[in-house]
Amino acid sequence: MKRLRLGLLLVLMFAPFAAMAANPGFAGRWRLDPARSSALDGWHAADLVIALDGTQVALTYHMTWRTTKFSATNTVDTAQPQAIKDFFRIEQRHMAVYPRAGESAQVTAAWLDAGETLRVEAAVPVGISQGEGTMRVYNEFRLLEGGTTLLLIELHNTRHRPLVYTFTKVPAEAAAN
Amino acid sequence: MKNRFILALLVLSLAGGFAPVSAETAPTAREAWIMHFDGDWKNASGLPEKAMLIGLQGLANRTAPRLYIAHAPDFPWEITVPLADFYTRKHGVKFTELKTADEALTLFAASAKGYVVWDTAVMPTLNVAYTIAGLEDAIVVTPALIPLAERHGLKRIDDLRGRYDGMTDTQIYADAKTRYFARCNPDMIMLMGGHAGDMRIPGIADWGVRQRMFFHDLSGNPAHKDEVALAMELYGAMNPGAFVFGWHSYVKDTEEQHTTLTSTFGLRMDGLQSLPNHSFNSQFTFTPGFKFQNQHHVDRDTKLVAEKKVYLAFVQSDGIGLGVWTKPGRGKLQLAWGAIPSWLEFAPAALEYFQESATPADYFIGGLSGPSYMYPNHIPADRFDGLMREAVRQMEVLDERIFEILDNSAADGNVGNADLTKETVDRYYAAFPNVIGFINGYGPARTFDLRNGVPMISYDYYIDPRRPREEVAADLQELITINRNRPYFCLVHVRESNDVNSLVEVTKQLHGPIEIVPVDTFMKLAASNQTYRTRYQLPTDPKHFEGFRRE
Repeated sequence: MKRLRLGLLLVLMFAPFAAMAANPGFAGRWRLDPARSSALDGWHAADLVIALDGTQVALTYHMTWRTTKFSATNTVDTAQPQAIKDFFRIEQRHMAVYPRAGESAQVTAAWLDAGETLRVEAAVPVGISQGEGTMRVYNEFRLLEGGTTLLLIELHNTRHRPLVYTFTKVPAEAAAN
Repeated sequence: MKNRFILALLVLSLAGGFAPVSAETAPTAREAWIMHFDGDWKNASGLPEKAMLIGLQGLANRTAPRLYIAHAPDFPWEITVPLADFYTRKHGVKFTELKTADEALTLFAASAKGYVVWDTAVMPTLNVAYTIAGLEDAIVVTPALIPLAERHGLKRIDDLRGRYDGMTDTQIYADAKTRYFARCNPDMIMLMGGHAGDMRIPGIADWGVRQRMFFHDLSGNPAHKDEVALAMELYGAMNPGAFVFGWHSYVKDTEEQHTTLTSTFGLRMDGLQSLPNHSFNSQFTFTPGFKFQNQHHVDRDTKLVAEKKVYLAFVQSDGIGLGVWTKPGRGKLQLAWGAIPSWLEFAPAALEYFQESATPADYFIGGLSGPSYMYPNHIPADRFDGLMREAVRQMEVLDERIFEILDNSAADGNVGNADLTKETVDRYYAAFPNVIGFINGYGPARTFDLRNGVPMISYDYYIDPRRPREEVAADLQELITINRNRPYFCLVHVRESNDVNSLVEVTKQLHGPIEIVPVDTFMKLAASNQTYRTRYQLPTDPKHFEGFRRE
């Protein structure tokens, strides 16, 4: 009963945002511009592919390290909180903070600013040298004026500085190749 | 196994006339010559003459330390000039400068019996030429340098032009193996890789020529099946405990792949391909009365009690002499350094130089993983104990109490791991009964343990010199925040080219109850309160590479 009430409360809280329509310009392939982004450690390059389907937003990361390719998708739902298994975040290779394989992050998502911003908030289980911890990750994906630049601002409850990643839209024909 | 290992060391000491000159028996003054190299290593310009001179150095130094090369300030090994000063001060070496190749040949051409021509259009011929140079006492020349060699009375011993046209590297080295390998040193082999394309830095070729090694740059990349198979034939034919000098080819494989390959055969990797003057350095011992005295901050049996705070310790374990040792700032931060243990045999004066120039903030540790650079998860079980006995011996001479381990065979950027299996950890605890702590990793890792008051701590952070300092401070602060239990033991690996002054500034930006301690103090504190979780490599951990299978 308590869970039901909590779920209802969350639905009511997020309903106004969920109802907000996303700017369709979010959809497509975005390429990280390292020169205008927080320094990546480990990863050399990153593409972010966004797909919109009703209240669901699929955020697929294609990461590159030397010849290694790694892909992961977080499909968030702006209509309801979710548990997402193996939630992906852009890790810093040089820090001993690891995803806990097979475990789920509690995730909420919402459209803000008349559909120009997607907010994703996740409580991510991580492995650390002292055992296990949880990192609260707050992401805002902001579509900038003109629709060719996507800004990802990432805050951690554990970090004093934001991580800012700038992506540039990959033209549809190039993305198809 | 023990007898075989001792035999290998004995053979090693006799191979190639390896006979260090004791400072106690050496004359008070010694004459030697020095050449100053610029930084041009391009195939089309500076390389041919430098390649010839480095080979000549190996011959000139066959029986005595005569020729030394000082490198430009931007050369990877930054100690060549200060080390020359050390030889002058401590060993009475009186250097006379040679300004040209012509001057060098005038003095040392008699050390050679002739020349071998290599083909700049087929770069592996340089390695084959070096192999021949060691066996036949030759210098290596390009066609343009033939007149210079002949002016000094040298005759053609071999000419590789045309012999290997159109052949793959595997075919070239297979032919060289057939022709030369049986006569080469079975205790040392030269992996002359490194740069490719339009430049090479064969700085350690003098050592390879002097010791009559087989030169190659075969790949350890599993995608290059033929090259790996041939490399395995070569490594499999080496004596137990043999050395692989040099470094992997930057375009063929990775450090991780090739070190996994050499470790699979229990061979000792001693980098880099650019390391200069081993043929000179190997012929000196310590100065009379010199003994290593590490600047310990705690006794072996000291028991400390950690407070409810964050303890940070910094370690620089890349090749000492690379990077920051000679730069301003050293001494401002407690920093542990991984001394290169094989230099006890091959460059003792360099180790003495480091000891002499250490500040009170500098502390030396043993490693890496064995008596040289190795990946322990892949060392054959029947070779492990013999190798580690040599590492223990080295640590005793160097007065070291902390041993560092790295196995990057399964590492792959953000998705691999650098952890040790429990079996490997068990072996280390058994092999090193007198250490006060083990360090694991290069980048961060997750292997932790505490047995009988001896912790094994992995790095929680790696400082990339290119990472903005404000991000480094934020990263460290984040680790301090997310590891909430106090005490928190945060071990930090400092890549060799970091500027110490900038690290000091980073530490000033950190908040909280933080104390920076020397790594031996850190280990004693970590032994007092295990807030880190015991963990080993798990079968489910992501692995980039499982390793090589020996036939």
